[in-house]
Amino acid sequence: MRTMTSKAAESATVQAGPGASESPATGPERRRGGKKSSMGVQNLAGWLFSTPFLVLFLVFMAFPILATLVMSFTDFGLRNVTRPLDANFIGFENYVNLFSDGKFLKSLFNTAYFVVIGVPLTIFLGLVVAVLANNGIDRARTFFRVGFYAPVVTTIVAVAVVWRFVLDPSDGLIAGLFSEVGLTSPDFLGSETLAMPSMIAMAVWRNLGTVMVLFIAGLQAIPTDVREAARLDGAGAWQEFKGITVPLLRPTLLYATVITTIGYLNVFEEPFVMTQGGPSDSTLTVSLNMYREGFNFFHMGYASAMAYVLFVVIMGITVLQLRLLKDNTK
Amino acid sequence: MPRTARTASVGIAVAAALTFGVTACGSSDGGSVAADKKQTLTVWAMGAEGEKLADVAKEYTKANPNVTVKVTPVGWDVAHQKLVSAAAAGTLPDVAQMGGSYLGEFAELGVLDPVDTKTFNEKDFFQSGWQQGEVDGKAYGVPWYVDTRVLYYRTDLAEKAGVTKAPTDWKEMQDLATAYQKKAGTKWGLSIQPSGLDTVQNFYSFLYSAGGEIVNDKGEVVIDSPEAVKALKEYGSYFDKGLSNKSVQPGYDVVKDFGNGRVPMFFGGPWHVTLLNEGQPQIKGKWAVANVPADKASVSMAGGSSLVISKDSKHKAAATEFITYLTDTKGQADWYKRTKDLPANTAAWTSGDLADDANLQVFKKQMDTAKANPSPSNWTEITDKVDQAIAKVTQGKASAEDALKTAQSEIEGLVK
Repeated sequence: MRTMTSKAAESATVQAGPGASESPATGPERRRGGKKSSMGVQNLAGWLFSTPFLVLFLVFMAFPILATLVMSFTDFGLRNVTRPLDANFIGFENYVNLFSDGKFLKSLFNTAYFVVIGVPLTIFLGLVVAVLANNGIDRARTFFRVGFYAPVVTTIVAVAVVWRFVLDPSDGLIAGLFSEVGLTSPDFLGSETLAMPSMIAMAVWRNLGTVMVLFIAGLQAIPTDVREAARLDGAGAWQEFKGITVPLLRPTLLYATVITTIGYLNVFEEPFVMTQGGPSDSTLTVSLNMYREGFNFFHMGYASAMAYVLFVVIMGITVLQLRLLKDNTK
Repeated sequence: MPRTARTASVGIAVAAALTFGVTACGSSDGGSVAADKKQTLTVWAMGAEGEKLADVAKEYTKANPNVTVKVTPVGWDVAHQKLVSAAAAGTLPDVAQMGGSYLGEFAELGVLDPVDTKTFNEKDFFQSGWQQGEVDGKAYGVPWYVDTRVLYYRTDLAEKAGVTKAPTDWKEMQDLATAYQKKAGTKWGLSIQPSGLDTVQNFYSFLYSAGGEIVNDKGEVVIDSPEAVKALKEYGSYFDKGLSNKSVQPGYDVVKDFGNGRVPMFFGGPWHVTLLNEGQPQIKGKWAVANVPADKASVSMAGGSSLVISKDSKHKAAATEFITYLTDTKGQADWYKRTKDLPANTAAWTSGDLADDANLQVFKKQMDTAKANPSPSNWTEITDKVDQAIAKVTQGKASAEDALKTAQSEIEGLVK
C-alpha cells in the first residue's frame, strides 16, 4: 500500500515536468513496436528522430558550455572579438581575482540572502496555496489556480510595471495603504535594507504558481482511500495533513525545493528590471553581476569565470539537497 | 526560467568569434566597386531612425537608380550586441549608425574605415558632433545628428511660484525648485536620477558647467578635482533637501510627471519636445526650454549619432556618396522634418523651421558649447564608477569628496 502510493505521487511529480505527460504511454508501445521491427531500424529511427535535438544541443549547449570554460581561463576582452586567438591564457587568475573582488563577494552574499529567505517562503506558501486551490470551495478553485498561476506566464516587463506601481513610495498601492492610516510609506526600492526583501517578495509571487502546480499534482496523486482510511481511524484535518499529505508529498517537495533553489541562485530578471542592482549594489546578484561584466564591460573571461563559480555553487547545493531530503524519505 | 540561455549566448559570441573572426581578418580590401556601378548598399540604423531612414533610402534610390539602399532597423536594446557579433563575424553592413559611446570600441576593433576628410569638412559640423566621431584624433564617423540636454521647465507653475524668468545659474535653479515645491505645490523640484546605470548623463550638466571633467584632454583622470566635487555637492543637495526623488526608478519616464505637474523641471533632449507636444497636449504653451543653468559657464553634454563605413565594405565610394547626401545642408533639413533629430551640419540651422523656432534656438545655443565625451573603448566602465560615486552621495553614504576620491583611484586603474 505504502509503496504503491508513493509511486503514484512520484509519477505525478514527473507528470508536471515538461513533456512528461507522454511518458506513461511510451513504455508499453515501445515494447510492442520492438517485436514488429528489427533492432537496427529501431536504433536508426531513434537516432534520426533525436538528431535535431542533438544538433541543437551540441551547438547551443555543449559547445558554449565548453567555450565558456576555456574562456574563463583567458583575459578575453573586447579587442578579442575580432582577434579571439590573441586572448591570453592566464590560468586561474580570473578565479583568484573573483575572491578578492568586493563586488563579486557582495553579489554572492546577496544571492545567498535571496535563496535563504526566498526558497522556504516560496515552498511554504506554494504548499499553502496548493492546498487551498485543491480543496477550497469548488467554485473558487479555478479562480485560485488561475490567479496564482498568472504571474508565472506574465512577461517580466508587465510584472515590473505592476510592481513599480505597488512599491512606488509616493503614490503606489502600499504607499496608499500607509497614508490611509496616516503613515509615510518606506521607499522600498530606494533603501538598501528594503530593496532585497522587495525583490524576494516579487520573486516569491512570480514563482508561487509553478510550485503550486507541482503540489496540486502531488496532492491529487494521493489516493482518496488512504485519506478515507485515516478518517475512519478518527484523524482530524490537521492529523490527516501531517500524517498523510506531507509524507506522501515528499518527492514533490524535494523536486520543488531543488528547482526553486536553482532558479533563485540564478536570479536575474527581478533586479535587472527593478533596480539594476542598486541602490549601492544592494540587489546586485551573481547573474546580474555576470551580465554586466560580460555585456556592459566586455570582460568575457572574467564573466565566464563567474559563470563557472556559480555553476559549482549550484551543483554543490543541489547535490547536498538531494542527499538531505532523500535520506528523510527513508 | 531560461538561465542557461544566457550562459549559452556568451558561448555563442565566442563561437562566432572563433569561427568567423579568423576569416574576417584576411578579407579586407578585397576590391571595391565604383560609385556609379550597379550595387546594393546595406545600412543599419537604430530605433526610430532605422524606420525613417528607409523612406529616405527610397528617395535616394529614385535619384540614383544604380544604387539600391537596403536599410535594416536595429532595436537600441540589441544594437550593441548585434554590432559586436557582426564585427566578430566580419559581416558589418556597409554603413552603420553609431553613437559616440560605441565608436571608441569599434575603432579599437579596427573594423571602421577612417572618414574621408576631403569629402567631409570638420568645419561644416558642430565641433562636439565631429569630436564624437573621433578616436585618438582620427575621425571614424561623420556626424549625422546631434543632441544635447537643456532644462525643461513649467512656466505656468513658475508663475504660480512667483518666478517669471528661466533660471540662469545654480542658485536660481535651486531657488526655483524650492519655490515650485513650496509655493506651487509640486511633488518635486527637479527630476534628476539618483543612481543606477548612466546616472552620469544627468550629472554632466553640473560637472561640465562647473568646469570639471572625468578625463581631461591629456588623458589624465580628474574626477576628484575641486570643480567636480563642487558639482557633485550641488547635485547631492537636491536630494538632501528633498527637492529630487531619491528612489531608484530604472526606466522612469519623466514626461508624464511633467505633464501632471509633479515634476516641474528636468534635463531633456530634443526628442522631449515631440514627446510633450504629442503626449501631453494639455500643457501646450505652459512649458519652455532654457539653457543649462550655469556655474562657471552653461555647458551641457553632447550626444548624437555618427555614420560609419565598415572597413570591409566593398562599396565605400557609394557609401561615401550616400553619407554625403544625408549630411549635407539639404539632407539634414529634410531629416529634421522627418525625425526632429537636430542637424549636425550647422548650415542646416539657418533656414526654414530650424531658424524660426525659439525652442530650437535654445538647443542651437547649447550645442555651441556642448561637450562631447572622450571615447575610449571602456567608457561605460569608467562612467559606471562615476555612477557609483553619485549614488553614494545621493543616498547619503559618503561625502562628495570621499566618493570622488574613490572613483578617481578606480578610474585611474582603467585608463591606460
